[in-house]
Amino acid sequence: MRMLETTTQTAPKHLAAWIFGALFLGLAAVVPLQAQEDTEAIPELSGLWDGSPRSRPINGPNMPWTSENFPVLNERGLAFREVFDEAISPKYDCVPSTPPALVYDPYMMEVVQWPDRVLLRYEKDDQLRTVWLDGREPTPQDYSLQGVSVGHYKDGALHVTTTHFTFDVTGFDDYNGIPSSQLKKITERYWREGEELKVTLTVEDELFLREPVSFTTQWKPGLEGYQLQAYECDAEIARYPVKFLVPKYR
Amino acid sequence: MAAVGAMAVVVAVTNLPAAAHHASGPFYDNTKSAEADGVVTRFLFRNPHSFLFLDAPGENGETIAWEIEMGTALSMSRRGWTPDTIKVGDAVKVVGQPSRAPGTYGMCCAEISQADGSPISPAN
Repeated sequence: MRMLETTTQTAPKHLAAWIFGALFLGLAAVVPLQAQEDTEAIPELSGLWDGSPRSRPINGPNMPWTSENFPVLNERGLAFREVFDEAISPKYDCVPSTPPALVYDPYMMEVVQWPDRVLLRYEKDDQLRTVWLDGREPTPQDYSLQGVSVGHYKDGALHVTTTHFTFDVTGFDDYNGIPSSQLKKITERYWREGEELKVTLTVEDELFLREPVSFTTQWKPGLEGYQLQAYECDAEIARYPVKFLVPKYR
Repeated sequence: MAAVGAMAVVVAVTNLPAAAHHASGPFYDNTKSAEADGVVTRFLFRNPHSFLFLDAPGENGETIAWEIEMGTALSMSRRGWTPDTIKVGDAVKVVGQPSRAPGTYGMCCAEISQADGSPISPAN
């Protein structure tokens, strides 16, 4: 609307007004062109996506990390895994999971695309990840459970890089007792393949992993009319089964 | 009658342990099978897992309070389950994997049916 008003102005009476008008005309010529290019490059990823076993094998000790892509741990990672006790996992206190586990958890996910950001809403643990598209960079004050995600569209896909995670004693997955550190870096590429939403996710963490590891998976469209449900993790019931473990330490 | 012993029957897994919240192996012994016929005392339809509590007679006539871990309320609700699918006072039969910690009476990955063996329908 503002650009339309600028382009319909009459001839300027003064030089300053002429320069001012020329600048606005220039902006009017450039901005729509850039917007059009961006629009053409943006894939349609929005919607409700089903990550349940209807779309892919359920997660477990060998899924999505199989014998073919299981991480090679360094000495620090091996030592941590050796002393890890399931009972200390933060999830038994309702601490939400983080990528990569959160991405593969067998629940619904909603994608919302705005001009300056993409919202990834996870039914599991009521989590929201914001992927900033405005070129911002995280600061040293930005460390958090889900880290900071920045992204861009390229070649029909959304490319996301997430860093600035806080230390997570089970930050690699829900099953294998592998931690993740402040150096964890998650790279994701989301694209459409027919009706499905696909992602290739790569984990890097120099503190525990010898090399990056990746998996590719998919979501089917959520059932029509379904809306994300509140997870509302119950802290009492989350910890309840821990008493069935034979404790590693006494 | 509650019994824990070597697995002698094939257990149809109708209730995932926690719908991917945690591995069942550290908590429950999948090489054994447990069975309980009892009366429901409590049913918690929650996330990250639901729990069914029932009192069942033990081999020596004592009452054993079983605690049955079930799936997340979210995943169960998509199959039609509600907090009222099982009610306090219902007589049920449960067959599953027993908990590992000595002195506990937990069970997971269980097939839960009505006392006569007929299936519990979420639509009921």
